[in-house]
Amino acid sequence: MDYVARDARCHGLDLPFTFTPHPLVGNDQSTLETYLRGNDPATGVPILEEIIQALTKSFPKSRQPVETAKQRLPRLLSSDNEANLQRLFVENGWTDGLPIILPTEERVAEMLSGTSHDRDEVVGRMTITTNQEKLEYTVEKVAVNAVMAGARPEHLPVILAIASIAEGSMPSSTTSFARMVMVNGPIRNEIGMNSGIGALSPFNLANSVIGRAWTLMTINLGDARLGETFMGSQGNTTNYNNMCCAENEERSVWEPFHVEKGFKQEESVVSLFLGWSVVNSMGAPNRRAAHEETAIILPAFPAHTSSATLIMDPLVARGLKERHGFESKRHLARWLSENVKIPAKQYWSADLVYAFVLPLAEQGVEPFASWHKLPPNELIAHYNKPENINVIVVGGETNPLWQTTDFRYTRSASIDAWRPKNPIPAGLRMPRAPVDLTCRGGACELPPASGRIRPDGPESGNGNSGAG
Amino acid sequence: MATIERLRDKALVRVLHPRGQPTAKAETLSLAPRLDSLEGKTVYLIDVGFGGGYEFLAAMKSWLSTTFPTVKPVLKRKAGNMLLDNPELWAEIKAQGHAVIFGVGG
Repeated sequence: MDYVARDARCHGLDLPFTFTPHPLVGNDQSTLETYLRGNDPATGVPILEEIIQALTKSFPKSRQPVETAKQRLPRLLSSDNEANLQRLFVENGWTDGLPIILPTEERVAEMLSGTSHDRDEVVGRMTITTNQEKLEYTVEKVAVNAVMAGARPEHLPVILAIASIAEGSMPSSTTSFARMVMVNGPIRNEIGMNSGIGALSPFNLANSVIGRAWTLMTINLGDARLGETFMGSQGNTTNYNNMCCAENEERSVWEPFHVEKGFKQEESVVSLFLGWSVVNSMGAPNRRAAHEETAIILPAFPAHTSSATLIMDPLVARGLKERHGFESKRHLARWLSENVKIPAKQYWSADLVYAFVLPLAEQGVEPFASWHKLPPNELIAHYNKPENINVIVVGGETNPLWQTTDFRYTRSASIDAWRPKNPIPAGLRMPRAPVDLTCRGGACELPPASGRIRPDGPESGNGNSGAG
Repeated sequence: MATIERLRDKALVRVLHPRGQPTAKAETLSLAPRLDSLEGKTVYLIDVGFGGGYEFLAAMKSWLSTTFPTVKPVLKRKAGNMLLDNPELWAEIKAQGHAVIFGVGG
């Protein structure tokens, strides 16, 4: 019922809605007919009776007036002790389920030292739904959520850049999207982001809090409410920090991702990706080359937008270039586009293809119209747009592995546009990860990691030799 | 330690509201006039493209035909995916239809 009120507020029209049991997809015809002859689960009224009433004059004329605007939210919440405020945030659904740093005025003011933009400047409007009410947010609102995530002022320009793109990390979709945040440029090292060993694992402060801030912004500034606006049936664990990491530009043999997108190498840029699936290479390209292995993995995805993103250890990139002649990321993308093929029957049987591509084929849009006429066993090179196949170099060169995803690139934004005029002194920045993995050439200006305290005395190894 | 925890819990704190400001400001519109009855009318059933929607509307079309023999139900799937506009179809419905039921499956 909240959905109906929200829809009316957005469109100024109190449309009559009838709800069926959910989901409809995947049910046989007899179940759908049972649903049709049953009751609206929201009102208890028979569905058919409700629909006929909505179309005819028996529909009540005097319904609730459409509420076309909401009151302004207060800037401050009522005073309370810390325990009660933590409870308030959890019970209102304003967190990701983890404890937060309470956004006091002092902490938010400190956070705002991370940008020169006015705290009242509107950064954007966002909703995780489609065509529904958007929430507007200012620099201060972004800073509030950054504090909650545990971020520091030096992280704020990256978080503001993400906010400026105005995409939620958790779209409303029942399909439970995964998302990825990728940072390029000098700021990676200035704030100690990890692009090396374990870059996608939870060790690094900047990677963790920047990715987490995106999801807290999605909840509070994109109106993600479980079971109301967010309907992901299973949810997605990537959304805890959205695979936030940096590209290992220093160890990559190829052009950085942001340069491919038209930015200068010295610019700091954040890029966002959207998809569902991440498949590890499950072994090194030892007996089969990485591009050939990827061509085996990619057909599992329907690729309805021809999109894929490979997250590749620098060793894999180097091998592809030096042993197999892939001089650039584009070269590899073209090879995959030409060589990944699946039978027409497999392609057209995918639910995503039914929903998004079949309508285009029926409209005569090529190449889909031609593909739709092919015999079932005819092969289709369904990654037909190589420009939608992305390659990002991430990892610490402990093993030549890579991850194949169905992620599509959505947008990039300048981080530099949100930096403070006076850089935050290095001494005031937070420590980096426990091991100095990312500070190269003194870019982070911080002293080497030191003073690590071990409960069992001097460094003696971690007892986990691993399998190499 | 326990004393510090108790003191901390008693100290009052003020924090900022984390939520964004709702913005919807739509001009209030009226619904189209309702029909006296469905007898003799053309009723469009439009599937927007989510899975299961078309099949559900097909069942509804069958029921309409049986229950209201004079009703002309027209079942269509909108062009493009569920996120795209389809002005040609809206124009067709305005010109030829008396009522429309949109089905959103999934």
